[in-house]
Order: sequence, then structure tokens, then C-alpha cells
Amino acid sequence: MKALLVAESREGKTLPSIYELAEFARMAGAQTVMLQVGGRENPPKLDGKLYLADTKTAGELNPPLHAAMIADVAMKEGVDMVLLSHSPYGWDLAPLVAQALGAAQISEAVDYKDGQFITPALNGKLRLSLKPATAKVVVTLQAGAVAPQGEPTGTPTVEELSPPASGKPYEFLGFEAPKDGGVDLGRAKVVVSAGRGVGKVENVELVKKLAEALGGELGATRPLVDAGWVEAGRQVGASGQTVAPKLYLACGVSGAAQHIAGMKKSEFVAAINTDPEAPITEVAHVTAVADLKQLIPAILERLKK
Amino acid sequence: MYLLALAAVGFMAYGLIQRVRALLHAGKSTADIKLQIGRALWQTLAQLKAISHGGAAGWGHAIFFWCFLILTAGTTLVFIQADFTDLLFGYKFLKGGFYKIFSLALDLAGLAAILAMGGLFIRRYIFRPVGLASEPADALIHILLFLALATGFVVEGLRMAATELDMNMALAQWSPVGLVVAKVFHGMDMASLTMAHKITWWIHFLICLAFFIAIPLTKLRHIFYIPVNYALAPAGASGKLSTMALDDETAEKFGASQPADLLFKDLFDTAACVKCKRCQDQCPAHATGKPLSPMKLTQDIGAALASGVGSSLVEAVGEDAVWACVTCRACEAVCPAGVEHVRKIIEMRRGMALMEGRFPGDEVVRALDAIEVNGNPLGAALAARGDWAEGLALTGEGMEVLYFTGCYACYDRRNIKVARSFMTILGKLGVKAGTLGKKEKCCGEPARKMGNEYLYQTVAAENIESIHATGAKKIVTTCPHCFHTLANEYPDLGLDPQISVEHYTTFLAARMASFKPNGPIAPVTYHDSCYMGRYNGVFSQPRELLAAIGAPVTEMAKSRETSFCCGGGGGRILAEEKLGTRINAAKAAMAGDTGAAMVVSNCPFCLTMLEDGVKTGGLEEKMKPVDLAELLADRM
Amino acid sequence: MNILVCIKQVPDMETKFKINSAGDWIDEADTAFRMNEYDEFAVEEAVALKEKLGAGASLTVLSIGPERVKEAIKKALAMGADKGAHIQDDECFRKDTAQVASMIADYAKDKGFELIFTGLQSQDRGSAQVGPILAVKLGFNLVTTVVGFQYDAGAITARRELEGGLRAIVKTAAPAVITCQLGLNKPRYPTLPNIMKAKKKELAVIPAAQVAAGAAMVNTARAFHPERKGAGEMLQGDIAQVADRFVKIIREKTGLI
Repeated sequence: MKALLVAESREGKTLPSIYELAEFARMAGAQTVMLQVGGRENPPKLDGKLYLADTKTAGELNPPLHAAMIADVAMKEGVDMVLLSHSPYGWDLAPLVAQALGAAQISEAVDYKDGQFITPALNGKLRLSLKPATAKVVVTLQAGAVAPQGEPTGTPTVEELSPPASGKPYEFLGFEAPKDGGVDLGRAKVVVSAGRGVGKVENVELVKKLAEALGGELGATRPLVDAGWVEAGRQVGASGQTVAPKLYLACGVSGAAQHIAGMKKSEFVAAINTDPEAPITEVAHVTAVADLKQLIPAILERLKK
Repeated sequence: MYLLALAAVGFMAYGLIQRVRALLHAGKSTADIKLQIGRALWQTLAQLKAISHGGAAGWGHAIFFWCFLILTAGTTLVFIQADFTDLLFGYKFLKGGFYKIFSLALDLAGLAAILAMGGLFIRRYIFRPVGLASEPADALIHILLFLALATGFVVEGLRMAATELDMNMALAQWSPVGLVVAKVFHGMDMASLTMAHKITWWIHFLICLAFFIAIPLTKLRHIFYIPVNYALAPAGASGKLSTMALDDETAEKFGASQPADLLFKDLFDTAACVKCKRCQDQCPAHATGKPLSPMKLTQDIGAALASGVGSSLVEAVGEDAVWACVTCRACEAVCPAGVEHVRKIIEMRRGMALMEGRFPGDEVVRALDAIEVNGNPLGAALAARGDWAEGLALTGEGMEVLYFTGCYACYDRRNIKVARSFMTILGKLGVKAGTLGKKEKCCGEPARKMGNEYLYQTVAAENIESIHATGAKKIVTTCPHCFHTLANEYPDLGLDPQISVEHYTTFLAARMASFKPNGPIAPVTYHDSCYMGRYNGVFSQPRELLAAIGAPVTEMAKSRETSFCCGGGGGRILAEEKLGTRINAAKAAMAGDTGAAMVVSNCPFCLTMLEDGVKTGGLEEKMKPVDLAELLADRM
Repeated sequence: MNILVCIKQVPDMETKFKINSAGDWIDEADTAFRMNEYDEFAVEEAVALKEKLGAGASLTVLSIGPERVKEAIKKALAMGADKGAHIQDDECFRKDTAQVASMIADYAKDKGFELIFTGLQSQDRGSAQVGPILAVKLGFNLVTTVVGFQYDAGAITARRELEGGLRAIVKTAAPAVITCQLGLNKPRYPTLPNIMKAKKKELAVIPAAQVAAGAAMVNTARAFHPERKGAGEMLQGDIAQVADRFVKIIREKTGLI
């Protein structure tokens, strides 16, 4: 099997998702070629052919253009699988590439077994085993689904890639930094997150106290940020920050896939949830099935001693 | 004189009737008004509402009212004799023994009235109760009434000085107060006395006319309006909300956004209100710093009406005030004017909810959404509704009693214990009880109280169908909100009137013999839930049950009709309390003040609120909230 | 101007899902359904745009599924859509994203839609594919993951949400497919007058056979509950005991406290 790995760059920097794609391809036993738009200064540290285009000509974001380039390279290289990260960049492109190739598209794969891709469904409560009905397949990989082995060392062989003449109108006007920047949860040793299970905005204070008592930072899931209960800069998840602290404590967090994507790499995960079957319990090393309004004060008391 | 009198009374009548006419035209159709005249007369004459929950001021008013009634009756008799029977037929009836009693009665009435006035004056202007605002009109009323009484005695004294003093002391003694005044004028010659009498009589007459004129212009209009309001108050179940006809496809307006959308009674209430602030003093929202005062709300609606039938009610009253209400009806329980505050608030909420999709917070919208999708506001899965009864023996076909469990008892950990305790009791009583299981949906009450009549009627219709399908003829609930809604409001939507609905307190009270003590029990205090207490008059049965199990009850300062709400009513169990201090904390403190070890309630909202209030108030070591069913379960 | 909003009715996420007898999806018994959360934002955005454009703009709401999806369509009508289209398909859960997109494309192709709104993804499958594939099939422009949207006489300026809270401003032109991310707007609660008006709005029913789905490109071999990793310890019971053990485990495993 041969796979085309689509790497991502953001403002000149190559994002680490490429290493996850490489690991997945290795697990699937596929030979690989890579493609990336931008990131010339620090291309992926992997051996192999890298088709490289410039953002100056191809644009930072231009799904029609990038998809066309990927499809072209995929056909030229005769790949069976195109692999992208299940990121806003990836899920924008994958269906377009798949349609151009007449290929099936599988979203948010977490595993690959006997020619079938495993993906989550229903907020992570179920898994589906999907089989492509076409020869080629385009796959987006869930962030953090596979862990790359060791430090990446390697040097790609660059092949220049020019974008085709511009097709569909799509203009990238610029980036917008998150409004309340501030907190860098990525550096925290301990992150204690509040989820919908806190019930009322007043209970966020409880979770915050716990974070402070543990010498850590407060994190939150998307619904709390959308509701204005916690500032956006503290959102942990696919559209928030990715964290990998020594201790991640999820309080009243159900464990939606998008959230787990942001904290999967935490060393030790503890959860407090009244539902023993909440998806978070799958990634948690220990789960306390209890009402956080009762348990957190009890924990705080014990931490004082 | 006659002309002036006629003019003054005419002015009064005109003013009063004009306002009523305006109110009749302003509000909605008056087709359903039924006047309860007999009841109104009785309530007015006995001053029942003035006295109950009125304290010393209430008695002051009652005494003044009766005395004024006596004086008015007396003056009328004098008028009839002087200007009619004596004038035209030479017939006098104010004579002999009758006249003696007559004189004494009037004198004592006049004196008592002056003393009552004095007391009320001291209360308003010297003690200055908190929250009692005084306007120039109040001073005017005090002055007018006092002068009317005072000049009355001066007139009498002058008359007696001319006709009875020294001349007929035997008769004079029957007018003791007048006699004292007469002695002041002792020694004046007849001509001076006659002149003084005439002048003072006219002053008295003009003051009384001024009084008539003041009636339509000040809160004195309550003399006529409150008795009328007593006649207008509904005769049926208290606190029952109107069931909106939602299948009327031509209806375009729902709820009350303007004064024109309110009922005649609602608008008339604003005229009957005398700003006595008793409602405000009872209101738990007001007591905890919310911008809601039932008195101010009533006045604000009146002001909105004055600025135009199409003006915005919510702007006049304030949106936060409208949402802060817990529909406890403590205001209505103590109002001497028969004002119904809660219905106006619900109608305004309906206006916002149904016409604008406006609710007091996102958490309320989420809860309503959850009722719509999963049949409960807690967001739990509908398939899990029957899980609380795991391991319990439930009867399906042929159930004697349908236990309508309610959302909290089905899904909330603390309240599941209450449901299971109740099932234990039913088991020991040998009652074959069943539930609707997964089919049961929220009774719809919190949605209804938040103004979402449409969602309420939707879930209610589904429940009614499920209930009828069981064939059960008796329903028992452990939740007062479910009880009130199923018993008093579901029949409007088609629930078979043959099905009797009871709350467990009355159901078990009827089986009192089954309960007995089981060892010593720490002193308890009992919390009257609003929906069993004020709404449905169930005060004594729970107390009798507590006595049956040997639990000594220490009452809170506010109990029974004036019980302080836990804060969970009016749909507010769905909402966050963002303003002021917590009602449930205030309530828990009140319970804690009794020194009891347990606070007993009969409602899942009360239990939830008290548990929360006990924690916030740091009373966990001192007091335990417990449901009556939990106490009864192992004392049979 | 004609606008289309595509919505999906999904099972409520609180449900404890059971696998159906065929083993390829869930058993729908005792399951509550609701409009896909992402689609609520799409409907709100479409309705708000329609209101802004005034007379001359018409919004159609489309959904595919069994009889029950009419409830979701009615809700969208009550939020302000002008007419509904229900592609009646009791087996649509077995169709893949390419087939669903084909059906919608077949329905939409001759109706002159300038803009098509839909949610970024569905809460039950979460593939985020239907919108983009639909754009390809219709030859429309595409912007996904939209958290800000502006329309001005055919020109579209949108704010796309990227990772880590970063946003990108992009510009394209109608005709376009717009997929909506959570937080794009605040979906309105339907008012009663609108709920009543919705009952009278046109709701066309189109049998699935009338719209071409094409061949499946992805087949669901099986649906299953994830194996519990077992490495995770569950603590239940008395709060004091749970707290003791919880703190002890964290202390032992992380050394942080």
C-alpha cells in the first residue's frame, strides 16, 4: 500500500500532526510520500519525498487549490490512501480530494484493522468499523489517535510543487488571534477542567479552587466557553488548546471527542463524573463516580492537611 | 346644603364609576365575571382580610372601619329624621331609650375612631415602618378623617352645651365624650353657642364633603373598590392558571405584553391596591434583594395603564422583577384588598415566552429544550425514567394507585430516596401501585410557570393519554407541583374528572392509624411547601402525621399561611439565582433558628433547595433536610 | 433569492445506546431525537440572512429520514424557514455521506439556490463530509467551520475557526455551501405565533426513490461499544471514602501532592 501524507503548516511552521500520520501509515504497512503547502523553513523531519508548495503562490488556506494539488500528486504517485489530520484544515480538504479521486472518505479514524477503519460515533459512545467500497480512500486521522514513536529524525527530499492556475474563488484575508490569549495551558503541570456537569456557573469557582489547590490551571470544555462561564483562552480541545500535563483532572466533563483530542496526551487522567459510562472514563486512569459539588470540597479538605 | 351634598356625592360617584368604565374598556373581555356579592359583604363587614396577617395596624383599621360605619349610620339616621320624617311628617324616632343607646354608641365609636386614627398616625409618621412610603395624599387623608371626627365632637359639644348641659344631665351622660367637650363651652350665652354651632356644623359638613371628593382622587377609593374586588375574586381553586386555547388558529396574541391584554380584575386590582406593603413584607424575592415588590408591581401596572393601554408592561415593571417571582402567593395570602399578583406575572411571562421566545437565562432554555426532547428538565435520557424503581415490585394492569413520580424523584439522587421510601410505605399498606414508567413525562408545571404554555400543554396532553391508558382511577404524587397541576389544571386539558388526584400527605393522613413512633426522634421543624400549603390548604395533615410518629415539632416564625418559600417555585427550580442573596439560604437559616435537628418538607424542590441552603449556610452539622415520606417509611 | 438549509435529526446524546439487531447502527427504541446542534446554528444563520434580505428571499429547509424528522423540519419552519422539504427515507441511516450529498444535490440542482447552509457535522456520525461533497456535486464554492458570516450582494466574507482558538478570515462568492460551527450565533427559541404559522407552511414530501443516491462508497461493517480499557479504576460510594482513595491514587501516581 502507498499513502500520501498531507502535512500542515501554520504561519510558516510545520505542525506536528504529520508525525501522527506517518506513524499511522507505518502501522498500516504503507509506503509514504508527503505533501505540504508552506513550512519551507522547517519541513517535516521525515525521510521520503516531500512535495512542497509555497503559501505565497498557493495561499495559506485555499481548499479548492490545495485539494487539486493533493489529488494531482495522489494520482501521479498512484497512492491508495491519502492521509490528513482531522483538523479544520484536514476536514476542509479531505472530501474535496476524495471526490476528485472518486474515492471513499473516512473521517476521524482512530485505528485500522484488516482493511477497515475504526471511527468514533455518537459523541464517542460508540465505534464504527468502516470499509471503503472504492480502491482508493481518503482518511482523516483523529488528533492524538496514534502516538509517534520517539523523536523524529529524518530529512525529506523536496520536490517543488506549483499550484495549478487558480480555479474556484477563495481568498484568504488573514488570521485572527484568539481574543483572550493570556493563559498558556500547554505549559501547566496540572490542568483541572470544568465541563457541563458543573451545572451552574457558580460551581466553576469550585473547580477553580481545586486547580489552585493542586497548583494548576483551570481549563474548560467548549460549552462552558460558549456560555461565557470561562474565558475562551482556557478552552481545552480541538478548537482550543492541546495540553499534556502531568495531571489532568476532568470535572463534570462528558468527554466529547473534540475535548479528548485536546488532552489525550496527559500523563495521568483523573475524572469526576456522575455517569460511569461517560466517554471520559475511557481515557481516565481513575474515575470517581460522584457529584463534584460534594466530592471537590471533600478533596479540598484532604489537600489542606 | 343639599346642592353641595349632591354635588360632592355626585363627584365621588362619577370619579369612581369613570375609572371602572375605563378599566372595563381597557382590559380583555369581561364575559366571565361572576360577582360573589354575599361573600364580599361578609368579608367587608367582618374586616377578615384587614385583620388576618395585619398585626396591630390591621386591628386599627378594623376598629376605625366599624366605628366609622356606626357614625355614618348614626349621621344618616339624623339626616333622615331632620330632613325627611320630621320635616315632612313631623315624625321623630330618635327619642327615649333608643336615643340614649344611640348617643352612647356614637360617642364611643367616635372616641375609638380617634384613638385608632391616632395609633395609625403614630405608626406611619413616628415609627415609620421600613418600606412604607408616605405621600402627601396620606397626610391629607389622616388630616381629613381626624378633623371630621374632631369637628363632629365639637358640634356635639356645642349642641349639648345649648340643649343638655345643666338642663338635662340625665340624658347628657349618655354622650360622655360630648359632655366633656360641652363643659369647655360652659358659660357661653345661647346666641354665641348657636352661632358657633352653626359655623362648626358647616365646617364639619364641608370636611365631610371634602372627604367624599377625596375618595375617587386618593387611595380612599378602596372604600368602594375593595368590597367590589372581594366580589370579583374567583371562587374556585386558588392559584389555578387560565388554560390558553392554543388550538384557536386565529389567535395572534398570547400572554400580556400591554395593559390591554390583562383581565379586568387584573387592572381593577391596581385601583384597589392601598399600598399597605403587606405583600412586599412577605415576598421572599423582595426579602433577598431581588427587584421585585408585589406592591410596586401592582402600582407599576397601574402607571402603565395610565400612560396608555398599549404601553409595555415589562418596561414598566422591569424584566428582572417579572422573572424573580417564585409564585409562592404569600403576597396574595396577606393582601387585604384581594389583589392577585401572581396571575399578572404569569401573563407577562407568557407574553415574553410565547411572543418573543424570551426567558431569564440560557440554562432555562436548555431545561425547556430537555423537557421537549427527553421529557424532563434535567437532561437525562427518557429511557431511564423508570430506572429509579429497580428492584421494586410495581403493579402493571389492575393498579389501585398510579404513582405519578415526577422528574426529580425519577432522576435526582437525593429525591429517588423519597420515591423509594414512598413505595416502601405503599408496600406496607398493601396498596397495589404502578407508575407510567418510561412513558411518564414532566407534568409541565415549571415550563408553564415560566410562561411556556405551549410546551406545558404538549407534555400534559401526552401524560393525560398515558394516564387514561392505565385505567387507573386514583393518582398519588410525592410532588406538590405535580399534584396541583394534575388535580387542578389537567382537567382543563381533558383529564378524566373521575380520576382522583392526591398528594401523599393527604393520602397517608387518611391512613393515619398505620403510623406510629419507632423510638425517640429528634425535634423537627416543618416547612409548609407553597403548593400544598397556600395553594391547596394542606397544613394540618402533615403535622398530624408527625404527631402520629411522635416527632416534636418546633414551628418556624413564618409557617402555614405565611410560610417562607424555599425559592424553587415559579419555574425558578430551572433557573440560576443571579440577583441578591439566596432564598434557599435565607429559608435554611430560618429553619436553623428553631434549633431543630431536622427540617421536614413534602416537596422535591423544597428538599433540593433546603439541601443546597443548608450547605451554603454552613448548617450541615446542625440540621438535616428530610422528606416526610422518609420519616414515615420506617415508622409503621 | 433562494436559500437552502439542510438539517439532520439525530438521537439525543444522553441516551444509553444499544446496538441494533443488524449490528450496524443503534436500536432506536426509547430514543429521543432532536435537531442536530450544528444545524440549529445553520438554521438561525439562514433565517437571520433571509430576514435581512427582506421580501424576495425565500428559505427552504430540507431533511432526509423517516416520518419523525418532520418534527425537526417543523422546528426550523417555526424558527423562520418558509417551506420544508422532507425526503422520506426510512433507511437513510444506512446511506453514506456521498449518497446523502447526492440526494440533496439531486433535489437542489434545479431550484436556483444561491446559498446552502448546513451544520459542520452531525452529532451522531461526525464525518463533516456532506456539506463539502454537496458543494462539489453542485459546483458551488465552499466555506466550512464558520463562526462568522457576512453576505453582501453575492460576496461572502466568513470567519473560519481553526485549531487553538485561531481564526481565519476568508472570502468567496455565491453560490456557496456554508457549514456552521457551534457558537456562530444564538439560535432563537421559536415563538408561539411562529409555531402556529409553521403548521400552515408548505412541507413537501419526496419519496427517497425520486432522488438519485448513487452507489455507496463507504460501508459500515459493524457498530460496537468501545472495549473498556480496564486500566481505569472506578471509585463509587461513600464520599469520604471516595475522596480518600482519589487523593491517594493521584498522590501515588503523580507525586504532585
